[in-house]
Amino acid sequence: MFLVELFVQGLIQGSVYALIAVGLTLVYGLLRILHVAHAGLFTLGGYAGVLVTNATGSVAVALVFAALSVGAVGMAVYRFCYEPILRRPPYVALIASIGLFIAMEELFRIVFGPFGLTYDIVPLQGSVVIGGMYLRSAELVTMALAAVLIGGLGLLAGRTRIGLAWRATVSVPEMAESFGIDIVKVRYLNFFIGSALAGVAGVMVSVLNNLVEPTMGSVASYKALAIIVLGGLGNVRGTLVAALTLGVIEAYGTIYLAGFLDRDAIAFAVLIVILMVRPQGLFGRSA
Amino acid sequence: MTAVLEVTGVTVTFGGVTALDDVSFVVHPGELLGLIGPNGAGKTTMLKVVTGIVVPQAGTVRLANADLAGLPTHARMRRGLGLAQQLVRTFDNVSTIENVMLAAGRQRTASPWAALFQVNRSVERRIALELLERVGIADAAEQRPDHLPLGYRKRLQVARALALDPALLLLDEPLAGLNHVEAAALADVVRGIADDGRTVVLIEHNLGEVLRITDRLVVLDSGRKIGDGEPGAVIRDPVVHAAYIGEGEAA
Amino acid sequence: MIGAYEISLLTTIGIAVTFALSLNLVTGFCGQISLGHAAFLGTGAYVAAMSVVAGAPFAVGLIAGGLVAAAVGAVVGLASLRVRHDFLAITTMGVGFLFVGFTRQQDWLGGEMGIAGIPEAPFGKVGLMVVALGVAAATAAFSVYLKRTWMGFAFDAIAADEDTARTVAIDVSRYKLAAFALGTGIAGLAGGLYAFNIRFIAPDSFGFVESVTVLAMVVIGGIGSVLWVTVAAAALAVLPQWFQAVDDYKLLLYGVLLFTVMRLSPGGLAGLVARLVRGVRQ
Ligand SMILES: Nc1ncnc2c1ncn2[C@@H]1O[C@H](COP(=O)(O)OP(=O)(O)OP(=O)(O)O)[C@@H](O)[C@H]1O
Ligand SMILES: [Mg+2]
Repeated sequence: MFLVELFVQGLIQGSVYALIAVGLTLVYGLLRILHVAHAGLFTLGGYAGVLVTNATGSVAVALVFAALSVGAVGMAVYRFCYEPILRRPPYVALIASIGLFIAMEELFRIVFGPFGLTYDIVPLQGSVVIGGMYLRSAELVTMALAAVLIGGLGLLAGRTRIGLAWRATVSVPEMAESFGIDIVKVRYLNFFIGSALAGVAGVMVSVLNNLVEPTMGSVASYKALAIIVLGGLGNVRGTLVAALTLGVIEAYGTIYLAGFLDRDAIAFAVLIVILMVRPQGLFGRSA
Repeated sequence: MTAVLEVTGVTVTFGGVTALDDVSFVVHPGELLGLIGPNGAGKTTMLKVVTGIVVPQAGTVRLANADLAGLPTHARMRRGLGLAQQLVRTFDNVSTIENVMLAAGRQRTASPWAALFQVNRSVERRIALELLERVGIADAAEQRPDHLPLGYRKRLQVARALALDPALLLLDEPLAGLNHVEAAALADVVRGIADDGRTVVLIEHNLGEVLRITDRLVVLDSGRKIGDGEPGAVIRDPVVHAAYIGEGEAA
Repeated sequence: MIGAYEISLLTTIGIAVTFALSLNLVTGFCGQISLGHAAFLGTGAYVAAMSVVAGAPFAVGLIAGGLVAAAVGAVVGLASLRVRHDFLAITTMGVGFLFVGFTRQQDWLGGEMGIAGIPEAPFGKVGLMVVALGVAAATAAFSVYLKRTWMGFAFDAIAADEDTARTVAIDVSRYKLAAFALGTGIAGLAGGLYAFNIRFIAPDSFGFVESVTVLAMVVIGGIGSVLWVTVAAAALAVLPQWFQAVDDYKLLLYGVLLFTVMRLSPGGLAGLVARLVRGVRQ
């Protein structure tokens, strides 16, 4: 029973990871940039969640607001930060992104204070019993949101014109351009969707913990970097599997590795072990 | 007389594409061998197999009678290969002459820890300058390669490969991107390298120059060897003619 | 005479310059990006601290710190042989997190609380300052020398294009290992000095922020430039001490600088100065 509970907790955490990591892997797939500042957008979502919920009393409004506003900020990040340096060697964008992320974290600290914000009334407080297991409503909503949003993304990518254009752009950019696909539009869409998902994840994490703090993005989102590597950089399905698997491994690891390794280091231990065996990631194609 | 290079039964597939299909040939000492064939025939892939950049699904490569299986690229180069790749790849953070010096200093770079105690570069500089003169780009010696025209960069690669003092020099389309006069001049240089007793494998689409300077031709088409012999005879072979010239007309 | 404040400032500068030059060796010379370099500062600091707490002489602690860090660095270097570019960036970042995550859980290393009460160096604060500045100067001299050797020359080739380096008979793997061992060993030395200077270390002294700080020093100075990395390291080490405002907003400053430099002058100060000089000459 205990093992099953751990498994479910792992899936919940894995859903959060998935929401964050999908945006990151999409950016990598499209631009070959390790978008570290994605973590800052996740934190921004957390702040949007707390502030809007406290102002309106509705976490649903907060979720929509966070998705739209963080999505818009994501597009701005692309326009003003990445677009001008796309032609430079890859480390340039990576280091710029790290700088941007650190600056964002500091801005949160300066604007909202170092100690973080909490909900006036914590939303989604109820709980349900499923198969003898207590699950908080917030946890169920997190999993449901992850399933619906990522499932919807899959439909969008697989069934719509813009989705096809998107996939074409990711796999063969030059070709896509010659077919008259507007690559720039696809990039904006990509940043909007990826950032919106991170924003939603930020809201849900702030609800789950009843806390949003400036450094909320650090660990979770570096972990997202590890996840997209495991998933084979740019591979969405691989990323999903890696996110859920890591959530579960961590859930067990926290119990069974506690004396040896910090929870947050498990992801990287797994990452390093796996990269040693498969340098292209779990689901990456070999070069 | 043993062969310098002996390729036996080499097969390479990329996903579904068969790039090389059971190809065998030998290169004799002192010979200038032309390796020709239409686009996508597998010529570059063959050089990559010889240099260890691509691992074949089947087949063996022997250099001076020693099996190269399992040896990494740098070790194969040390055993006497020199490679000028089809796609130009230069070290753009150092000057043109330093590109060549890096190869000329292969004894000095053999072990990192020994290299830490070696500072003198004058011998290598002299060798490199001679080679740049030989391929006709000594005027660009102190410039960064990324600012040079393609023809210069192509010749830089030839000089750099030569600087390894290889027993077998592998050249992948060195004449591409050169104008008529430059191409003829570099072809003469390649002929001269062979006349000095060095063994050369030359991949080239410029058939005029190939027929003028090579001693023998091996022809690939769609990964299979379809010709091997004296250049004039090979090029008149109807099979080669159909595959090679036919494609040329269609293109 | 210089006062206690200047002594501590100069010691800090010496340590920062050594640390930054050690990363410059790996990232600048050999082209291998590392986002977890603080782990090696930490390894050196822990080894040195544990050694002197156990009664070993300071010099032994310092050298042991450097050697152990180099050994760990060689292992990480082995990992770097398997992965490249983006993968390497994340792997080294992971090494940084592993270091913090591991030390936090080790009671014998003081756990989260770290190691306090590291004894004062017998040669005193001035002595420590002299050692720190001496190590920094030696590291700078070594860097300049290395750049002129055939090892440095081969690093150039690897940093530019490692596949092509192989075609000129360079054993890329062994050179990368050498770069990691040298760079992390020197970082370990800096770590020992850090432990003796602050006399208190904890896992969080060697986290991602420190790795980014040292990266900022290298990037702002100009990746690969010994002179300007030294200048940038010294400046970024003293600015927070001189200006309280800078101290409060240190990370904001680093973040903005990292971003701005990459956006406007990816060659850092070195690149900027080179461009200015070229401009003046014309
Ligand atoms: N890394 C690779 N992955 C997949 N397919 C490849 C790869 N390298 C080569 N190929 C394929 O193998 C075949 C042979 O390619 P190769 O480059 O050897 O031809 P080539 O004879 O050198 O042609 P060209 O004259 O155009 O240079 C081609 O169909 C090519 O598309
Ligand atoms: Mg070719």
